[in-house]
Amino acid sequence: MSNVKMSKILEQLKILIIVGIMILIGQRIGYGIGIIKAIPGIILVIIVAQISLIIKAAFPNIKFPAFAWATMISFILSMPFMPTAEWYLGITNNVNFLGTTTPILAFAGISVGNKLQILKKLSWKIVIVSIFVFLGTFFGSAVIAQIVLKIQGLI
Amino acid sequence: MSGNKGITKALINSSIMVTIIVIIAELIGTRRFSVGIGTITLLPMLYAVVMGMLIVPDLLGRVIPLLKKVIGDDEIEFAGTAVMIALLPLGVKYGNLVGPNVVEIVRAGPAFLLQEFGNVATIFVALPVALLLGLKREAVGASVSICREPTLGIMGEKYGLDSPEGTGTLGTYLMGTVFGTIFYGILGSLSLSTGLHPLALAMAGGMGSGSMMTAASSSLAAAVDPALSDTVLAYAATSNMLTGVTGLYMVIFVSLPLVNKLYDILEPKIGKKGGEKDE
Repeated sequence: MSNVKMSKILEQLKILIIVGIMILIGQRIGYGIGIIKAIPGIILVIIVAQISLIIKAAFPNIKFPAFAWATMISFILSMPFMPTAEWYLGITNNVNFLGTTTPILAFAGISVGNKLQILKKLSWKIVIVSIFVFLGTFFGSAVIAQIVLKIQGLI
Repeated sequence: MSGNKGITKALINSSIMVTIIVIIAELIGTRRFSVGIGTITLLPMLYAVVMGMLIVPDLLGRVIPLLKKVIGDDEIEFAGTAVMIALLPLGVKYGNLVGPNVVEIVRAGPAFLLQEFGNVATIFVALPVALLLGLKREAVGASVSICREPTLGIMGEKYGLDSPEGTGTLGTYLMGTVFGTIFYGILGSLSLSTGLHPLALAMAGGMGSGSMMTAASSSLAAAVDPALSDTVLAYAATSNMLTGVTGLYMVIFVSLPLVNKLYDILEPKIGKKGGEKDE
């Protein structure tokens, strides 16, 4: 557990709380969810998020991103046969899914700011190839999924 | 890091700017546009990423000197750290969607596993294009996969990132980082017009990048029958988790040998003569 440092946790918690406030404001505007009503939910979300960061720091050899840990913990708490499911989903349902996405992408947009110059140097050929990569990986998976789901009779 | 004045200033500045962006993006709200081949659903996250990109020193910062003071290099660096942390509440919400759907997802297990091989399709689509454009070994790096961090690691280790292969991988990586969310945010809803089932498209959205998957699946979920929305998101999140586990091995054991093999077969046939380096 030597990788888990209190100063780092506090730094992360600070950012999580700021992001939490952004989500509360954003979803009030976008989806009409009252700020007070959503506070317990956002606190619970922040706790799970912080735990996933701690787990990731504690087990650096398991190459599993904190994002996946967060999904995993939340997944376990909300499975239908878990005693926690009803309570957990009841509280966190006041945090809107799409509301959590807007701050991420705003930060993401700013964070690529120093890559724009490098991008200019990129060959136009790679730009075209990358578009085909994006299309290929997406539709490749979609076609296989379509065929298998059809064979299984699920769609 | 903590207590450092530069970091605190960067935290405050970028947090204020992001909050303003969030408010503007949510005020605009979800918009739908009919285009010739289908409907494009634009979500607030899409305006947010565009606004974020616009306010950096290399773009609007050039025109508006005051903006350069608010968002500078420190803020850009801080934003990079903040993205990883801001993603976590979303990760939690994905868990909320997958949990209640767990039985259904296990039933669709074979489809989830097999569609992972769909990522290999990029080789058959992108490599010929790259060769026709006259790329040589860069083509291998650029088309081996969607080139997220695990691929970057593998290619860096095997060829070095300053090799032609590495240059190609970095190129696709960079394009994905900058334009990936915008690209998939538009493709997500538009892809419905192909006639493929929303659940198959949802699985396809899980490509090993949290933000690209979110862009693809959210715009898809906003475009389908509301009763299906949660399942679409749950499928995408599950597929993305799976790619997180399998992606690395897929590149090492399947994609990389395959792209090299295909390169050897195709390059003499359709590669441009002269072996000139890409400019």
